[in-house]
Amino acid sequence: MKRYWRCFVCGDIHFGVKPPEICPTCLVRNAYVEISSDEADRTTRPSRTTMTRQEFRAAIEKFAEKNEFEVNPDASKVDMLFDGIFANEQNHGFKYCPCRLRTKDFSEDLKLVCPCNFLIHETYKGKEDGECWCGLFVRRKK
Amino acid sequence: MLVRAVRKEEKVSRLIMFHARECPHCKVMMPHVDRLEKEEKVKIERLEVWHDEKNADLMRSYRPVIAPKCGGQLRTPTFFCPETNDVLCGEVPYEKLKDWALKQG
Repeated sequence: MKRYWRCFVCGDIHFGVKPPEICPTCLVRNAYVEISSDEADRTTRPSRTTMTRQEFRAAIEKFAEKNEFEVNPDASKVDMLFDGIFANEQNHGFKYCPCRLRTKDFSEDLKLVCPCNFLIHETYKGKEDGECWCGLFVRRKK
Repeated sequence: MLVRAVRKEEKVSRLIMFHARECPHCKVMMPHVDRLEKEEKVKIERLEVWHDEKNADLMRSYRPVIAPKCGGQLRTPTFFCPETNDVLCGEVPYEKLKDWALKQG
C-alpha cells in the first residue's frame, strides 16, 4: 500500500510504497519518516501569506503587466476591493473575492482566491469592456 | 393607485438582497434599492454575507437555486425571492430591478 513519507531534513513529501533512500532535494540518506495522509494534506495545502497591501498591489500589477487586462484605473474601487480582500483573508483565511460568497468547500473556494481565473468568466470572456467578477481587473482599452 | 392598494392587502413575498460590504456592484445597487423601496413601497431585506455568518449560511442554503442562474456562483449582489425562487444577480439598471421586484408580488 502506498503511504506518505516526509524528509525530516527539508520537508519533501513522497507518496509511495517505500521512501527514497536518498532525498532528491537535500540528498540526505535515510531521512524519510512516515506521516499520516492528514498531515500530508495539511502540508501540501496552500496556506495564507502575509502580504501588505503595497506588496499585493505590486504583485497584481506584475500579473497584469504583459496581459490584455490591467488593474482597474478607478482607484476608489480598487481601495474598496482591497478592503474586502484583506478583510476576507483576516476573517476567513484567504484572499477571497469580495463579490462572491465562499461555499465552504475548500477546493471549490480556491477558485475564488484573488486573482481568480476570470478569463473564462462571462463577465470577461469575449467582452470588449470585460472585467473580472469584482472589477479589480479590466480589459485594456485599445 | 388602485393596483397598489390591492397589492398591499395581498400577502407580500419576502424579497432579499444578498450583498457584501466591500463589493462595488452592491454599492452601485444600494441607491436603486432605496429608490425602489421609496417609490414602489416594497421592502427588500438587505443581508450582508461576508461579515455575517448567519446571512452567509442562509445564502449558501439557497445555493442549488441561486448558483445555476448566476454563472454557477454565489455572487453579490443577488436579489432573491424564496417564495418564487426567482433570482436576479449582478449590477442591473433600476428598471430591471423594479420589474423583477414587482413581478414577485
